[in-house]
Amino acid sequence: MSEDAGSSGDSRQDSEEEPGQGSERAKPDGDHTDRRMLRHQYRQLINKVQQNREDMLSSRSNSLTDALQEANKLFSGVSQAREAALDAQFLVLASNLGKEKANELHSEMTVFDSPAFAEDLLTFMGLNRLEGEENDSDDGSIASGFLPNNAWHKLGAEAERYFRRSPSFHYMLGSFKADPPVPRQRMERQKRRAGTEEKRAMPAQLKKMEESHQEATEKEVERILGLLQTYFKDDPNIPISFFDFVIDPSSFARTVENIFHVSFIIRDGFARIKLDQDKLPVIEPSHEDEGRENDPNAQVRNQAVISLSYQDWKDIVETFEITEPMIPPPGVSQENES
Amino acid sequence: MAQKRCSKGPGLSQGEDLAADEDYALTQSGSQVQRNLERLSPAQVDQKVSELVQYLLVKDQKKIPIKRADILKNVIKDYRGVYSEIIKRAGRILQQVFGLQLVEIDPKYHMYILVSNLPRLEVENLKQDDCTAKLGLLTVILSFLFMKGNAAKESAVWEMLRRLRVDPGVRHEVFGDVKKLVTEEFVRQKYLEYNRIPHTDPPEFEFQWGARAAKETSKMQILRFVAKIQSKDPKAWSTQYNEAAAEEAAVGGLSQDTSTHGDTGGASQGARRRTR
Repeated sequence: MSEDAGSSGDSRQDSEEEPGQGSERAKPDGDHTDRRMLRHQYRQLINKVQQNREDMLSSRSNSLTDALQEANKLFSGVSQAREAALDAQFLVLASNLGKEKANELHSEMTVFDSPAFAEDLLTFMGLNRLEGEENDSDDGSIASGFLPNNAWHKLGAEAERYFRRSPSFHYMLGSFKADPPVPRQRMERQKRRAGTEEKRAMPAQLKKMEESHQEATEKEVERILGLLQTYFKDDPNIPISFFDFVIDPSSFARTVENIFHVSFIIRDGFARIKLDQDKLPVIEPSHEDEGRENDPNAQVRNQAVISLSYQDWKDIVETFEITEPMIPPPGVSQENES
Repeated sequence: MAQKRCSKGPGLSQGEDLAADEDYALTQSGSQVQRNLERLSPAQVDQKVSELVQYLLVKDQKKIPIKRADILKNVIKDYRGVYSEIIKRAGRILQQVFGLQLVEIDPKYHMYILVSNLPRLEVENLKQDDCTAKLGLLTVILSFLFMKGNAAKESAVWEMLRRLRVDPGVRHEVFGDVKKLVTEEFVRQKYLEYNRIPHTDPPEFEFQWGARAAKETSKMQILRFVAKIQSKDPKAWSTQYNEAAAEEAAVGGLSQDTSTHGDTGGASQGARRRTR
């Protein structure tokens, strides 16, 4: 289709109505009927397109394209001006149709352009494009300019004309505003939930503290046992006065703590307490063999409750003239024996 | 019952309510309603009708559709046996006294709205408040939705509104929390539908017209609004124009030009309903 008549009709000598073509070379004779056939096909095609104009114009059908393709096929057989003229005639027809089709398409394609709509709305609302506010956030897509306070009211007043909205009445003196009740309940529930979460976190923390406390106790017991064993090593057979051992003359609290820790040593059978000839309690090491071995099964549980008041402690410190603790407070160097 | 319905004036637009009531367990047949009516004094019934009219007018202030369940609970109470008669009469009073049409917008959940039935006066509305401004915003959204093919993604709507300096994340000096206004208030009022688009992750939402929008305005009216703003002929958007015209034809002149509809609109609607 793209070529046209002038460039094509140049290959043959033909007879009848071919002026100015005499110089061309001849082709085999059967070619005459072929040409007639070709002309016939062209006329048929042109006829068909003219008859089915509506169908050709419809945006939903491909018939115009089909016709063009058919013409292209026919053109491959064209060798002389007469057929080429027919081809050109078809081309004129087809391009007219194409133009019409394009026109129709154009009028139907007025698309809604929302940026333009927005621009027009702003204009309607009274945007003053000269009196620009700061143009800081405007990245080109948003129009700058001053938008009056009543812009939306103005637009709303216009919009009302397109609605059948029922006018609602209003109270002249003050009003009873039918606001929905504030959802108070939900707030409370949320708070409560937050509270329980905190509570849930608490036991975990406490447990941890207890553990570390127990560890501290164990360490302290071991330390005291270590001290006790060093004292025994110095004098293996002399029992140590219980009071001398546990009393801290400077602190009643430390004293109580010492008694508490020593009680573990006794329970585990590393030492025992008994009364000497003056009926005073002494602590002495248990012999390796008897103490430890039958510990788990045979050993009888000896339980005793010692009461020690603040006054008792003061009396003991005075009576036994205790000036220095045998168990130094933890953290202090252990090398200060009495 | 049928006889009664025919005897009512053509301006009455209660056909919808009657039809909806027939599936309701509380409502009896016409003869039963008649029998129930006889047991009550006319003054009692009139009192209930007045109460209902007042209730509907007050509830309409918020523009949130009025549920039948609420009407029954708050007004009708022991008069359930004559409910259909009461709402029919209330509708008639609203029509005759106030020029309002009682419309059931949701036949499943029985929700009512009031729509003006009188032609608008071509006078500047004296009362302009934030409701007016909100209607402006709403109209812009409805226009956008209609012009874009009756539905649009939430993001597209906000993109449009941002050009008008309305941003969901920024407090607006007139609208306050715009996101809430658009996605909650307009939705509750049934001006907009706001639904999640299926199979979207993260979830995306889209807007459509709500039932009230379809009753208070029409596609043609909105197209006229757009045309006015853009100074064009409504026919310029042929696809939208054809759609709007088709809707207009289907509704039967209900939403003619605002200046001409009115009693005639109501009458033709009533006539259409009766032929069903």
